[in-house]
Amino acid sequence: MTILARLEHWKAEGAISPEQHVYLASLYRGDLVSVFLELNLLLYAGVLAFVAGLGWTVTTWSKQLGDVLVLAVLSAILAACFWYCFSRAPEWSLTETLTPTAIFDYVLYLGCLVWVVELAYLENRFHVLSGQWDYYLLATAVVFFFLAYRFDNRFVLSLALSSLAGWFGLTISHWPSHQDATYRQCGLLYCVVIGITAVLLKQRGVKQHFFGTYLNVAANVLFWSLLSGVFQRDGHWIWSLALLIACGASLGWGLKRRQFVFVAYAAVYGYVGFSWILLRGIHDPTVALLYFVVTAIAMLVALVRIAHRFGASK
Amino acid sequence: MRLYTELNEETFHARKLLAEWRDEKLINEEQYERLENETVCELRTTNIFLRLVFFFFTVVGVAAFGGLVAWSLLRDSSEPTIGIFLLIYAAVCYAIAERAASQANLYRYGIEEALAVCSVVLLCGGMGLALFSGRHLAPRELEFLVPAAGAVFSLWIWQRFGLWYALPAAMILIAWLPEYWTSSRWAQHVLIAALYAIGLVWVLAIRSRHRLDYLNSVYSLAEAFLWLGIYLAINLQLSVLTFRARWLIGDMRPPSEFRSWFYWATWVLIWCVPAVVLARGIRQKDRFVMAVGGVVSIVTFVTNKPYLGWTRHTWDPMILGVVLTGVVLWIRRWLARGPDGVRAGFTAARLSAKDKEWMNLTSSVLGLVSAPSTPTHGEDFRFGGGASGGGGAGGEF
Repeated sequence: MTILARLEHWKAEGAISPEQHVYLASLYRGDLVSVFLELNLLLYAGVLAFVAGLGWTVTTWSKQLGDVLVLAVLSAILAACFWYCFSRAPEWSLTETLTPTAIFDYVLYLGCLVWVVELAYLENRFHVLSGQWDYYLLATAVVFFFLAYRFDNRFVLSLALSSLAGWFGLTISHWPSHQDATYRQCGLLYCVVIGITAVLLKQRGVKQHFFGTYLNVAANVLFWSLLSGVFQRDGHWIWSLALLIACGASLGWGLKRRQFVFVAYAAVYGYVGFSWILLRGIHDPTVALLYFVVTAIAMLVALVRIAHRFGASK
Repeated sequence: MRLYTELNEETFHARKLLAEWRDEKLINEEQYERLENETVCELRTTNIFLRLVFFFFTVVGVAAFGGLVAWSLLRDSSEPTIGIFLLIYAAVCYAIAERAASQANLYRYGIEEALAVCSVVLLCGGMGLALFSGRHLAPRELEFLVPAAGAVFSLWIWQRFGLWYALPAAMILIAWLPEYWTSSRWAQHVLIAALYAIGLVWVLAIRSRHRLDYLNSVYSLAEAFLWLGIYLAINLQLSVLTFRARWLIGDMRPPSEFRSWFYWATWVLIWCVPAVVLARGIRQKDRFVMAVGGVVSIVTFVTNKPYLGWTRHTWDPMILGVVLTGVVLWIRRWLARGPDGVRAGFTAARLSAKDKEWMNLTSSVLGLVSAPSTPTHGEDFRFGGGASGGGGAGGEF
């Protein structure tokens, strides 16, 4: 029975109204097609292409164009973008807000990306902060966080989180003895910072829909940090224990909230970590291969049961 | 030919649509529950995350078991013997995949599809080792049978299991075939385009029968892939060798390995194909075909200068960005000015919650990957005087 036949049947037995039948049937037949997604993706591509060309042009022709012209043009674009955003934005709200105009988000992206180009130009030409790129990243993260919350924008929030992560990483690179352990600790600190921030903001009801973005970024950074600890030769047991706790928490969260991406994180990161620990001292390929056969089947059986039990399998 | 019954797949499709309509508030919760109870489906499926995890662990298990048998029993065997083992293993994997789908009703579950994918890989590897390694049981001229068998088997899996990615996999394997038949580069391009065109004609012939059933989206995607394949085959600036040699070292002269008439014929075609694809997508109101039409149109603009041997400028991407944005804004405005924001059955308004989800996901991911990158400590980049021209200015500031 095709969908159209089903719709006819549902109308006949009164499950849907005649108006619903007409609308749903026309929707299914494709009488009305939305090109919303396609147009938005093209706008993304347009903004990215423009900024890429702008950066390339500025990099290549800075001497011919002169600092004044380059900075004037970049500042003018930046000012125009932010003027547009601030003048068109609705009043700030704790909850999710709709974008006021169709191009609003893209003007904001353009402004954010031009900000990055201008900062890079300023530092490279005038060495304002003597190559202290971490301060630029911190400033950029602060600005992007502000813009993300002011204009309710996930793209800018992701930019802010990445800039903050860059700041953590770059700051360590200035330290006299920056080793893997330092990066790992900073990775964990980054997770704690953004995790606590996300929880606090969620508890206060500030843009609760951003929570998922924070949680996904924090979970991935956390698992990578813990795995790097598990992979080291000495003192890996504490990291293994931490990985076990993280996997349990991720699994629990994923099942409780029915966010199965966290179940996937727990399964894959956990499997990689514990396989590394268990196979560390094994040099016989037969045993190693047997391990993978047995554990892969065991993981499949366990996950199929979990999927069945928690309704992820219908 | 399909593994699942038409009723099951149609019912599965109906359930998905019901969930979408509920999310869009086109039907209320009470209606959804009633209609969902009426559309009971025997197929067992799962969400995308668990599907990927199931796929991963199945591949790990299949690879490890194959490795274990090969290491334990066939360590000192010849390559053809290992090849025969791989062929048997491919058959076993495929049989389990069939059984998992038909008996356990697994549908896009990760497990059955990983087994099917592994069977294609094992078939190609097994054929290669059994027939064309060591003592060469078959003449070298028949080596094309390896990708050909892989392509045919991938197409079978695409039809049998309905796995969309089996079609592009088959297309990639088909793209390797002409290398075995001719050394002429232009003939290779023509053959690839011709093979894809045959596939396209076949899909177009079948598609008209499935306009209003659950297979429409399957054939829509297939048509889009085949159009894309034809375009990639005829755009000589995108072939792997040409790309490496010309784009990366900045050599903009027309490639000399192609005959002049062929080269310029393909230049005409790279302008014609996007127009045809876009026109067909719009006429059929097919989003996949329209998307491919849009992508290949942009690629044509990007590759036009290298095609003509003209110098690329640093501001070219800016012009492309402005043109793209301008075109999008014009289309949006034009559609919005139609009665109720609709023209010729198209609207710029969002009709599906899925579009919003895709936008949220895309914006989050794009934000993470396009984060500001700065030179690391001690590294520096210089603003300079222009790579080409630049009024005699030096390359460095």
